[in-house]
Amino acid sequence: MDENTRTQIGRPQDPRDGLEAVVALRRLLEALEAAQVENAFIAGWSWAQIAEALGVSKQAVHKKHARRIKDKYPGDPPRRKGRGA
Amino acid sequence: MMFNRFTDKSRRCVQAAWEEARMLGHDSVGDEDLLLGILRAEEGLAAEALSSLGVTLERARDESEEMFSNALSSIGISLEEIRQEAGDAFEMRIPPGRRLPLSPRAKKVLVRARKEMRRLGDNHLGTEHVLLGILHNEDGTAVRLLAGMDVSPEALEDRLYKLRSRRAAG
Repeated sequence: MDENTRTQIGRPQDPRDGLEAVVALRRLLEALEAAQVENAFIAGWSWAQIAEALGVSKQAVHKKHARRIKDKYPGDPPRRKGRGA
Repeated sequence: MMFNRFTDKSRRCVQAAWEEARMLGHDSVGDEDLLLGILRAEEGLAAEALSSLGVTLERARDESEEMFSNALSSIGISLEEIRQEAGDAFEMRIPPGRRLPLSPRAKKVLVRARKEMRRLGDNHLGTEHVLLGILHNEDGTAVRLLAGMDVSPEALEDRLYKLRSRRAAG
């Protein structure tokens, strides 16, 4: 990475652009977390395993994601064979 | 009361703003969501002025997505790659059950809308006042979103006032 790239990536010129990138990143993070938790659930991971991998408590993960995922996969989840299944 | 004196149409626009914000994964309802709400509800003078200048809901959503994607590119992140990597489970939508607050900018828009209503000597707060409130905030996301579609605040205001006087005369 040369000097020019360094100033472009991670250091936008206008402070507003920099702050808006943070907002965009936060939105992306939320969507990505939701998607990867769902992927792990479908792969057969337990809430405890998902929580451990995310580095948070099982309660926190359950509170944040369980309702959405159970609404999406009512009844038996379409689990593939995997860890914890 | 924040929504006191709102007409049914402008209430529905604000309601639609919440739906747009949720769909786009915004964690609060911003000034750009108020604009999208007007387009989604398709009601009132504001929607008429916007559509007469070629601003459609679809174009505005695309522009919003582009601004999001550009903001990520500026720090070296490709939305497209992330989307592919995460697969079908990836969606921006905020799940039901999470409440979205009105952003400080959107609050300012609604406060400004009330001032516009008084300034114009109107008794009810219509969609045109909300749109004037949006346009007043030059640093707002909505104004930049419109600029991305080559629509200036001046042109829109001008169109709104013309539609108002036509309605008064009609």
